[in-house]
Amino acid sequence: MKSRVCIILISLLFALCANSQGFQVNFQGQRQQAMGCAGTAVYTDGASLFFNPGSSALLKESQINIAMTPIFANVLYKDAASSTNFRTENPVGTPFSAYAVFHVKKFEPLKFGMAVYTPFGSTVVWEKNWIGRFALTRLKLQSIFFQPTISYRITPKLGIGAGLVIATGDVELEKDIPVQDSLGNFGHAKLSGKAISFGFNVGIHYDFNDQFSVGFNYRSKVRMNLANGWADFSTPGAIASSFPDQNFTGSLPLPEVLTLGFAYKPNPKMSVVLDVNYVGWSAYDTLAFDYANNSSSLADTKSPRNYKDIFAFRAGFSYQVIEKLELRAGLGFGFSPVPDASVTPETPDGNRAYFTLGAGYQFNKHFAIDISFFYTQVERKATNAETQLSGTFKTIALAPGLGLTYKI
Amino acid sequence: MRKAYYTLLLFLIFISCKPAIEEPDYSRGEINPEKFVMVGGSHVSGYMDDALYYEGQMNSIAQMLAQQLSLVGMTGFRQPLVQANSVGIGFSGLAAMYLNYKTDCKGVSSLSPVRIASSGDLGILSENLYNASALFGNYGIPGIKLAEMQTTAYAALNPFFARMASSGNSSALQDINATQASFYALFLGLEDVLAYAKSGGTQALPELADFQTNYANVIQTLTANGSKAVIGLIPDVSEMPYFTTIPWNGLNLDSANNNTLNAVYNPLGYYFNVGPNPFMIVDTSANMFGVRQIRNDEYLLLSLPLDSVKCNQMGVLFPIRDEFVLDQGEQIELRSKIELYNTSIKNLATQYNLAVADVKSLVHQLKTGFVYNGISLSAKFVSGGAYSLDGIHFNPRGNALVANEFIRAINSKFNSKIPELNAGSFRSILFPN
Repeated sequence: MKSRVCIILISLLFALCANSQGFQVNFQGQRQQAMGCAGTAVYTDGASLFFNPGSSALLKESQINIAMTPIFANVLYKDAASSTNFRTENPVGTPFSAYAVFHVKKFEPLKFGMAVYTPFGSTVVWEKNWIGRFALTRLKLQSIFFQPTISYRITPKLGIGAGLVIATGDVELEKDIPVQDSLGNFGHAKLSGKAISFGFNVGIHYDFNDQFSVGFNYRSKVRMNLANGWADFSTPGAIASSFPDQNFTGSLPLPEVLTLGFAYKPNPKMSVVLDVNYVGWSAYDTLAFDYANNSSSLADTKSPRNYKDIFAFRAGFSYQVIEKLELRAGLGFGFSPVPDASVTPETPDGNRAYFTLGAGYQFNKHFAIDISFFYTQVERKATNAETQLSGTFKTIALAPGLGLTYKI
Repeated sequence: MRKAYYTLLLFLIFISCKPAIEEPDYSRGEINPEKFVMVGGSHVSGYMDDALYYEGQMNSIAQMLAQQLSLVGMTGFRQPLVQANSVGIGFSGLAAMYLNYKTDCKGVSSLSPVRIASSGDLGILSENLYNASALFGNYGIPGIKLAEMQTTAYAALNPFFARMASSGNSSALQDINATQASFYALFLGLEDVLAYAKSGGTQALPELADFQTNYANVIQTLTANGSKAVIGLIPDVSEMPYFTTIPWNGLNLDSANNNTLNAVYNPLGYYFNVGPNPFMIVDTSANMFGVRQIRNDEYLLLSLPLDSVKCNQMGVLFPIRDEFVLDQGEQIELRSKIELYNTSIKNLATQYNLAVADVKSLVHQLKTGFVYNGISLSAKFVSGGAYSLDGIHFNPRGNALVANEFIRAINSKFNSKIPELNAGSFRSILFPN
């Protein structure tokens, strides 16, 4: 019975949903995800390497954590003037995380860690012939961060930590070009590129007592430079010489994130966490593509983005029902960094509220399993200054996650 | 535990993961769109690429308006369609144009408008499609001037009307009035100003008083039984590519030709340099020889025979004739008349409670260029994306923009909610592969 319900549930999810997400992905740990994506002042598992390397210094056991969170997201766009509707046909997004934290027996205060996670990404595929096809037909933005980390427990209550971020990125952007061949087919452009860059992640954690903790984390900005991008154009033969395939350069800033986190344990079975993020999105002021060979039909593009720095608030709650089972819930609210004039089909972003649920089950002292569920709805009505696309984006995203932990 | 499980399951099913589409809230407002007729000239008919042909008609302004009005209850819209496989026919008797390679007199091959067939389909002008039980909704009559709306036996004067006339004796206005439409879109007067502009100012513009009387009469006749209407302002046609494509200083001289021309024209006070120079045009008032250099704000029309210019000294030793030039005085006359006509249209609109579609401002915006849903549009010939290959009539995408202008006017005047067209889904210029 149970398995059948699961199958129905999963097939329902797959049937109803395709996927997209904002540009910042907040799925870096199942426990934290279940608790509103907050966890800067707690040390419950290896995800602390991401949330706060300072907290990781206070972890008791060496451990490995892996997790995967498929995102099912759908965007519906309603064009204001024509009242016509268009949908995305996104593939399932697959953020994942893997953490390993260990220490040498002889010198327990010093922890070594390795984190691999996907903090930014977006996969958006719009339905064929949609009204915004000349702005975007498909975007695939992937980033994988590798973060070797060292943390140190200065006192039993105070930990500090720092990680070097090696960021790799991969972007593919496609759109139609409004020139038509003799059969009426539109031209198409596909820009793709890879980038590698560096940043850092530092944090400090302090336990006031058994009940109160505070954490502070700073993840630096990472500028992804596409030094050797490739632009592939297909246009009608008669004008193809104006659109030669060629190299381009561009860059995309991934913003810095500053987080202050609090944790409160009213009793040993219960915990409440709160994180306040400040995200430096103002780094994203322009999306520029510089083509190696310009022509009268192909100029370099400079699309204003003018994102704003924003605050986001995350809160979570956990309760240990029985010794082995913990239930979790949370919610969050984030202001949109995107001004009206810069809302695009790539990131149809708006102020977003979300809620989360989850549970953790400790099979034995080595092995634990965690699940989480994330749900959000976003609505944004805007007119883009560059393309004049004017309408309403409605997004629904849900993400069920699964994580495994092995403690030594 | 089991109960909790089912609750969770139910909950997961009820939170949808696909945003729901709202029911569209279209409404007709204060108009009755059930029987719709659009009245105008070639632009309304679907004439484009210098011909009346099937694809153009299927993408006519009237057809597009009808399609949107059908969302609020319009039915039974019929057009005087030509055969789907016909090459079409234009004012000049030639077939429709498409973009292809053309070799000029110098043997240079380049992209250029080319006729689909060596001659137009004369069969179009010899048929009569009138059917008393299925009256037309598209009364776009190529070439009709305002003063001709009441001309009886008009079929004898205009073969494009002959193919849709109820009889040999009728006037266009009689036939249109016989439809007893409940809603009209009027877009007249454009043929009047085009006749002047396309002839390089050699044909006359109507007197303002006549224009006003004739338009008033059309409106009065058609709205007599309470039908509502939208009326289009007349655009400044000199902003269209037909007038703005050929450069005034397109005369490129090498040093030998430069010397020759200076020898010929210096005595008249005209000087040339190696490189780009103004063309020589006919102007009887200029001097005793009646020739002068064209000014930088004067227009050479797209009707100019370019092979004669390139290979036979037209515009050089043989000055370009008046019919190919819209000179400064003619432009001033054209624009001031259009201004007066439009004032009169607005006054009539107030008097008869009509919505006013500002097609003039659309054409002006195209001159400067704008972006529509990620598509850059302008009045640039071929590449601008809104005009057809004749440089005067819009292509399907341009027609959708005009139709949207009418829809916005109707919505704002009559409190209706008629959705606009997605102009980007209609074709623009097609390029060969």
